[in-house]
Amino acid sequence: MEGTPPAPVISIRALTKHYGSVEALTDLTLEVNQGEIYGFLGPNGAGKSTAIRTLLGYLHATRGTASVLGMDIATESVEIRRLTGYLPGGIALYDSLSGEQVLDYLVDMQGRQPHRRAELCERLELPTSVLKRKVRDYSRGMRQKIGVVQALQHDPELAILDEPTEGLDPLMQHAFYSILDDLRREGRTVFFSSHVLSEVERLCDRVAIIRAGRLMAIHDVGELLARRRRRVTVRWRGAAPDPASLPGLEDVQVDGNRIIGMLSGEVAGFVRSIASPNLDDLIIEPASLEEAFLEYYASEEPGQ
Amino acid sequence: MSGRLFIQTLRWQRVRLIAVVLAGIGWGMLIPVFYGAFSGVMRDLANSGAIPRELMSFGSGSLFTLPGAITLGLQHPLAIAMLGVFAVGSSATAIAGERARGTLEVLLARPISRVTLYVSVLAAVLLAVLIVLAAILGGMMGGSALQGLTDELDLGQVPLVVLNGFGLWAAFTTFGLAMSVSFDRPGPAIGLSLAWLLIHYFLEILGSLWADAAWTQAYSLFHHFNPGEILTGGLDPLDLVIVCAAATVPLIYALLVFPKRDLAAPA
Repeated sequence: MEGTPPAPVISIRALTKHYGSVEALTDLTLEVNQGEIYGFLGPNGAGKSTAIRTLLGYLHATRGTASVLGMDIATESVEIRRLTGYLPGGIALYDSLSGEQVLDYLVDMQGRQPHRRAELCERLELPTSVLKRKVRDYSRGMRQKIGVVQALQHDPELAILDEPTEGLDPLMQHAFYSILDDLRREGRTVFFSSHVLSEVERLCDRVAIIRAGRLMAIHDVGELLARRRRRVTVRWRGAAPDPASLPGLEDVQVDGNRIIGMLSGEVAGFVRSIASPNLDDLIIEPASLEEAFLEYYASEEPGQ
Repeated sequence: MSGRLFIQTLRWQRVRLIAVVLAGIGWGMLIPVFYGAFSGVMRDLANSGAIPRELMSFGSGSLFTLPGAITLGLQHPLAIAMLGVFAVGSSATAIAGERARGTLEVLLARPISRVTLYVSVLAAVLLAVLIVLAAILGGMMGGSALQGLTDELDLGQVPLVVLNGFGLWAAFTTFGLAMSVSFDRPGPAIGLSLAWLLIHYFLEILGSLWADAAWTQAYSLFHHFNPGEILTGGLDPLDLVIVCAAATVPLIYALLVFPKRDLAAPA
């Protein structure tokens, strides 16, 4: 039907997973659209891996439903995994095999051709000489690189990556980010969990924030960054004005002729309000997503 | 079944399989030699009454006849250990070991159901068990031929020995694999599988050595595989039914339990 938006790649409705009395995940509802890089953000133990493992059939939902690529996770898990690439958190590989043998084995099991392997190995600096070595001789970073390659080598429609940059050095993290950028350009969908806020800020279109098994918020990353507070330092020649006259400034500290505070809301209005010949200096520091995230967690409790 | 997983599972086993097959052939070839060398002495000792006849037997076997010696050879702790390497060791660690190492995560990220995974691993381990059993029996037949003793055996019955023996060891294999799908670590799976085998072995040996406890043998799976009887008379169909039932129950349990298990992230 013309005008109908495409079905979401991942659709989760009130997904709940309890282990006895332990609520690992409660009423998670979210949708991931085609071509999106979607961040799933939360501290350790928040329920990110539980959600991912439920989507992929490792865990059975206590209640709720979910579909991946239009298929029900409870009844079509095998077909979902055929079209998906998954990088588990803290991936373990077969130590007695070489990197190349691991990739061959896993792509054979996938039943698809490793169209992207050569390109991924090149970008992640995995030359043939490294791939010929046994996995037992690999460093943690090299194992993680193999993990990334095995998840993406068959060019999956959807990549689900659990903390994908863990163990990668900064150079390789950037190589990985550029791989994801390319996937986005090609219209692939990536759902990845992380507690590294800077990479979510760098990569994601949208982010779901989860804490203690409950969804706290879903944000467009651009909007979240625009909404965050900024740290402002203003210095005057002579006495500082009454801070109450400065719109949007909170947590104000006055130090002689200097005012330090957190600015929320529109920057332009604040700048107009301080414009004066006595203005000596103005520093507006862009708060990172990390600060926005911490603010969010400081002010919200799960379930509120 | 996944052919790739089946082949890979066999590849994991290949070194130990080669070692155990060679040991099995060697052990099998020794049995007719022992029989040729010691059966007369054992018979004289038994007839003299110096040693109770029960103590000269082991399990359901003895050195008084070649078929008895073959039974003894297959019930000897060495043969149990060789077959147990796969029926207990490989089966109990097959899935619990992958789970403990974390590699089951990567494997189950592929489009493979847990039933397919189980069936593929089971088929590979059962093939390894069959190869070892065939190696031991092959060694016994070869040794008998070298000793010129084949006329004491009904060689036409050998396939039934293989069938019954495979049923017995399939029962321990499916039990081991049932334990393997039930635990996140191989330790408990190996422990329970080994205990299951040892209980049956104990009941069989106890009953053979102590006449008052002979009734315990009926409760041992080992008592339902007597190659000597098969080679001299025939296979009791009930024995085959019992070992097949013992193999089927853990198989059904695993097929029901494994797909329903929650596989939480490895610690």
